[in-house]
Formats: sequence, C-alpha cells, structure tokens
Amino acid sequence: MENSSDGILLKMEQIDKQFPGVHALDHVDFELREGEVHILLGENGAGKSTLMKVLSGSLSRDSGRILVYGKEIGELTPERSRELGIDMVYQELSLIPALTVAENIFLGKPLLNRFGMVDWPGMRQKSVESLAELGVEIDPSLEVRRLNVAEQQLTEIARILTKQPRIVLLDEPTSALSETERERLFELIRRLQARKVGIVYISHRLDEVPLIGNRVTVLRDGRVVGTIPVSEANEDTLIQMMVGKQLTEQFTKHSSVQEEEIFRVEHLTVPGKLFDVSFNLRKGEILGVFGLMGAGQATLTRALFGLNSITSGKYFIAGKEVTIRNPGQGIANGMGLLTRDRREGLVPALAVPPNITLAKLSQHTPLHVMNLKQEKDIGAGFVRDLRIQPPMLDRQVMYLSGGNQQKVVLARWLYSNSRVMIFDEPTRGIDVGAKAEVFALMDRLTQEGASIIMVSSEMPEVIAMSDRILVLRGGEIVAEYGAGTTQEQLLRSASLG
Amino acid sequence: MAENTNPEPPKKDSGSTTTGISRTRQIIYQSGPLIALLLISIYLSFASPYFLTTSNLVNIVRQSSITAILAIGQTLVILTGGIDISVGAITALAGSVAAVLMTSQLNILGLTIGPVNVWVGILVALIVGVSAGFINGFITTKGRIPDFIATLGTLSIYRGIALLVTDGLPVPSHLTATAVSGQIPPLLIWLGSGEIYGVPAAGIVAVMVTLVGYLLLRYATLGRFIYAAGGNREAARVSGINVDRVKIAAYMCSGLACAIAAMVLVGRLNSANALMAEGEELRSIGATVIGGTGLSGGEGGVVGSLIGALIMGVLGNGLNLLNVSAFWQRILQGLVVILVVLFDQWRRRRFSR
Repeated sequence: MENSSDGILLKMEQIDKQFPGVHALDHVDFELREGEVHILLGENGAGKSTLMKVLSGSLSRDSGRILVYGKEIGELTPERSRELGIDMVYQELSLIPALTVAENIFLGKPLLNRFGMVDWPGMRQKSVESLAELGVEIDPSLEVRRLNVAEQQLTEIARILTKQPRIVLLDEPTSALSETERERLFELIRRLQARKVGIVYISHRLDEVPLIGNRVTVLRDGRVVGTIPVSEANEDTLIQMMVGKQLTEQFTKHSSVQEEEIFRVEHLTVPGKLFDVSFNLRKGEILGVFGLMGAGQATLTRALFGLNSITSGKYFIAGKEVTIRNPGQGIANGMGLLTRDRREGLVPALAVPPNITLAKLSQHTPLHVMNLKQEKDIGAGFVRDLRIQPPMLDRQVMYLSGGNQQKVVLARWLYSNSRVMIFDEPTRGIDVGAKAEVFALMDRLTQEGASIIMVSSEMPEVIAMSDRILVLRGGEIVAEYGAGTTQEQLLRSASLG
Repeated sequence: MAENTNPEPPKKDSGSTTTGISRTRQIIYQSGPLIALLLISIYLSFASPYFLTTSNLVNIVRQSSITAILAIGQTLVILTGGIDISVGAITALAGSVAAVLMTSQLNILGLTIGPVNVWVGILVALIVGVSAGFINGFITTKGRIPDFIATLGTLSIYRGIALLVTDGLPVPSHLTATAVSGQIPPLLIWLGSGEIYGVPAAGIVAVMVTLVGYLLLRYATLGRFIYAAGGNREAARVSGINVDRVKIAAYMCSGLACAIAAMVLVGRLNSANALMAEGEELRSIGATVIGGTGLSGGEGGVVGSLIGALIMGVLGNGLNLLNVSAFWQRILQGLVVILVVLFDQWRRRRFSR
C-alpha cells in the first residue's frame, strides 16, 4: 500500500551523535510518512538503535533538526517524546517483572476513577481489550515475570496501543515471536497504518522487508546508505547496501592450522538458547563464530567455559572427554575466556601483575603462599612482551585504556597456559590501532600452537582472521564456511530462514 | 532471544588519556587514618593533662583491642563485599560456651563433664566461633540472602543460644561457683588484663591477629581471592575462583577472630555473659571503614582497621576525659561512622571514574 497522503509525520535532518571513539550517527536524514512502515536495516552497530533512542528522547543528539508534523522540536526528553505521540518498543524489554500485566500496561499513568483512586477494573478491562487487539489472551492480573519472552513482548506492544500513538518505533519486535504471533503483529501494524500511524520498524531479518515495509533505509557505520521503496529492495540489493566497501583494516594472518584436533564439543545444549551445537577445533586454528545479535553467541561462549549452570553436552580436549562445569575446570583443562565486556574480566582495583596471575592462582589451594617478587617479574615480562601501556606495574588496571586492559586479560590466559582460547568480541570498544595489535597477537598465538574460538559480529574481522567460520542463527549452527568466504554469504546465512 | 546485548552505543572506553590519581594523593589517602589518629591524640593531649599518662594509654590499648581483633575479621568479610553484623553475638556465644565449660560441672547425656582445662575451653571457643562464621557464610552464599539480613538474623540466634547456655546469668554465677568453685582460668585473666613489660597482653594479641590477617591478605592465595571476589565478582568467577567458598572462608575467619576476642574479653571481665560485646558490630565496622576499607569490597586492608580501632578507642577515651556523657558518646560514635562512609563514597565518585 502506497502512502495515500503525502503528509510527512516526522523528519529528522542531519542528526549527529558521537560516542567516545565512535561516530554513532553521522549526519543522518530520516523521514516517516503517515501510515507508512519504514524499515530500518543495518548490521550490528550500524546506528539503528541509536537513531531510535534519539527519537524517543532517551539519548540526546549532538546536532541536527527533528520536525514532527512540520514543527521543529527542540530538546527531546522521554516525556516530551511521549507527549508528541512517539512510543517505542525497546529491544531490551522495559517491563517491570514484579508488576502485573495491567500495571505494566498503565505504568506511569494509571487510570483513575472519579474519586481519584486507581481504577483497577477499568485498567484490567482496557488491558484485555488491547491484548485482544493483538489476538492474544494473557491474564492481565498475572505478574510479568511469569510470562514467556514472546508474551512479554506482546504486552509491551499492548502497552503502546493504550496510548494512541502517532509514531511507533519497533526495535526488532519479532525476535522472540513465533510465526503466528508474528503474523498477528503484522496484522496489527496494518491496522495502525490504516489509522495513519507512522511506524519505524527495525530489523535485520531481510525476509520481513517485503512482508510489511513501504520503504527501507539502510544504515552503515552511522551513515545512511540510501532510502528505497520496498519494490526496489530485493535481498541482493539490500545485502550489498548493508555490507558496502569496508575500511581496510590491518589484519595479520598466517594460517597455522595443524592436523591434530585440540578441542571438540558434541551436542552442546542450553535449554531455550542453544540447540545441539557440535564442532571441533584444531591445533593452531582460528574458528570464527558469526551471528546476528541474539543468535546465541553469548550463551555459547559461557557454556563452553562452564559459566552456564544448565548445560548438556560433551567436551573433549585432545580427544579425551573432560568435564567443564565451572570456569575452574575449564582453566584446568587449558581453556581461557576473553569476555565480551572487559569489565567482567578484570578486577579494577588490582594492579597489572595480580590480574595476570589470577587464573593460574585459582588452581592453587587457599593457603598456598604466593611469591610476590616472581609475580612482579611475570607481570613485567608480559608488559614488555605485549607492550602494555603505560608500563607501570603498580597501577590499578582501571586506569588503563580499553586496548591495554584487553592485553592484560590476554596475558592472564597466556600465563595460565591456555591452549583453547575463546575470544568474545575481542575488538569491541577498542580503537583501530589496538585492534591491529590484538589481531597480530591472535596470529602469533596460533603460530605458537594455541587455538582460538573467535566470536564476533564484525564480519570483516571474522573473515580476515578465521580459518573456518560457523554461522549461528537462533541458537543453532546453520552454516560452515572455509577461509575466503564473503560478507554477503555470511549475512545471508545469518539473517535468512 | 533473551541474551540481547546492545552493541550500540559501545561501552564508554576508559580512554587512553586517563592518568589516574597521582601517587602522592594515593599515599595521603592511605595514611589518612594514621594522620587522623595523630591529630586527635595531639588535640587530646592539650585538652586533658591526663590523656598522655601511661595508665591512660594502657587503658586505651586494652579497650581498643577487642574492637581491633573483631575489626580484622570484619575487614576480611567487608573486602569480599559482605558485612558481618553478628560479630558481637558470636563473641558472646563463644565466650559464654567456653566460660560455662571451664567453670561448671555439666551433666550431658549422663556424662559428667568439666570444669574443663583452659586449653580445652579455648579450643571449644575457637570451634564455636568458626562454626558460627561458617553458618553465616553458608546462609548468605547458598541461600542468596543479603549479608546484612543473614547476619542480622544469626545475631539474634547466637545471642539467644548464649542466653540458653548461660541461663541468662553471668558465668561463673554464684550457683556454679559454689558448687565446683569454678573460676575463670588465670591464663585468660592474664590475656585480658595482664602485661608484658608494661604492654597490655590484649594489645599484643590484637597486633598478632592483625599480623596474621596482613600476611594472609598479602601472601596467601586466599587473600588474593578475597580481593578479587570483592573487587569484581564476575571477573573472579571467570578466573576460576569459587567465589562462594571464598566468602564462606572470610566469614569463618571473622568467626575465628570473634572467638579470640571472646577469650580476651572474658579474661578482662573475669566473667562471661550472654550480652557482652554489645555494640561491637558497629565499632568493628566503624574501625574497618575508618581504616580505609571500602564497604563495596575489594579495597582496603587490616592495618588500617587496627588504626581505625585505635581511633575509635581514643575518641571514646577522650570523650570520657572531657566529661561527655556516655549517652552522647553513642550518638557521636554513630555519626563518625556515617560521616566516614559518606566521605569515602564522595572520594570514590570524585577520583575513580
């Protein structure tokens, strides 16, 4: 359905937003018409969510104009945005688990009866109605934490329906929904369209584009690549637009894969998150794991390292079955984990040497006497070897930069003789120079006989560094590629289905 | 998927330009407690002619030593990110149990026991203290109950058991004392009020406990685990440390310190009762935070806590000398603790970004 009126609901002009080290939005133009579903596409980190957060007022823009119904809007706060009729369904659910469905739906502005008291029957009634609009039956007096993720998502959408919005922002609304629930949501979106509500629909599922969209805008590295009508948007065009020409990065890569298998996992399953994952890893190999957001990478890394409590599956180190139920056992079996969030990996108030020796120390009994002199020497050795800056051994690691913190964690696993290292987003939030150093180190490690499982959502680095790439989607391995695959292929496997 | 972690915006990088706090400033903060102790002492030595007399100083050391011993255990717990409200209660329980065994004849399951030898008494006290600490740690880690609530509950339980054991009477009571002529053993009395070359034995015990705590934190792997678990629980876990076990160990150390303090206290009072060491929870926590250990865990040490205990002791003594009523002393003690924590948090926000 082409837009019947040329009423422009929303115009965003030259929106700019910088985060430290990242140009999240680079003079972005965006437009939404009445009754339009405008799909926002882009890789992880392209700036989709940031743009929507600017619009919903939860992030402030550095510069740029926003016009709603042709009227320029100054500073946007969440309250102001709501007054303008803009409502957002966040990707991370924003419901309060301990409150009931009805209370959540009317959160912030409960219905009042004529005595100024909360109108409970009215709220329940209205909740039932808006949930019925979505075609679901959820008891509004249930606490939200008793609902499954799909029901929570639908509750969140129902919440928006009670507010008579003019602009609705949906951030990956179908990621938790089943096929029928998704169909219901689409019906509802069409009804909203008929009421001339404008909808911004964020997704990275390409197959949804022709089903629901009118126009598509593709973002890449914070810039608008282009806005095209859905009729012109076939998969190849879109993938081409999303991938584009990448900045040349400095990758160091020598393939040093040996025949010998060092690690194997069979039928690894985490209920609801990871399904029957099996793969092996050879000595000196870098095994890339790619997936779009929420495809199960985080669960996989945690499960491999014994951080997940409910896990089934078999682990083999050098052909011998081992038990890995906690990180201590993982370390004992020569594994190491660089966490996605460095703050989860370091003890900020401790200096560099104690942070390096921690994993190896954990294998000792509690009353083992440490040799502090030796520890300092070990620390000095790694500081020199990995060029950790500044080379001050008594400085608390919280004062190091991101890249140097990453090196400290790396040193920890080198010192604990890790032979299988899991790198979860190893370049996240560090600058280009530090990235190049991390890649060089990875290469050196594999030449020295270590093996690396590299989980990353950055396609260029996965392709450049990996000897083999597994693609995860919905908690399953859906494809395996050798070195020399293309971004197009990866993206296709990760986003279609 | 429930595991969505939003990669945009990226986490704020700690930045390559951060220089950190200067070395001198760090030294000033670390020696802050010592400077405070000196300043208060200098003021008091001018304000009261009696303050600097030997007998008064001995008195201060004797009074501070109980708090100091408890504060060392408390420090280990606070370093893991916990807090032990039950230290006073464990002290009373360990002291009461030992005192009853050492001074009276009991009939348990048809067996006549006691009065036991002083060493057996001490051993029992230590076992009671460590077990009470284990229970604290077990409840808070395995039951996932906030440390404050868990130890607040056990505080009441331990005091209740102490009341049961002593029947609510001082030990030795007139009843038992006449029956078997039980007395608190001389060794404990010496521990509580004796001296070596003019130095109170209680003070020496406190220094020894501090020394053990210092060595443990600095040189034993357990000490490192305590700092890691309190400094970043998740990082400690990823590094293979069993965080729950570390926490339980810290509580057991605290229980052990309570038992040692109990022996000193029973000796000083020449008696035990179920309500002794009342208020020591606040004093030990106060001494710990005054000594520079952060309530959020992971930063601090036992030497500061020893100095913190001395500050609490000097303050109390000074207020006595200046004729401030005991009622006001309580109010001031609470205020000091709150102000120190306020200052500490302000400092952290200001300098640790």
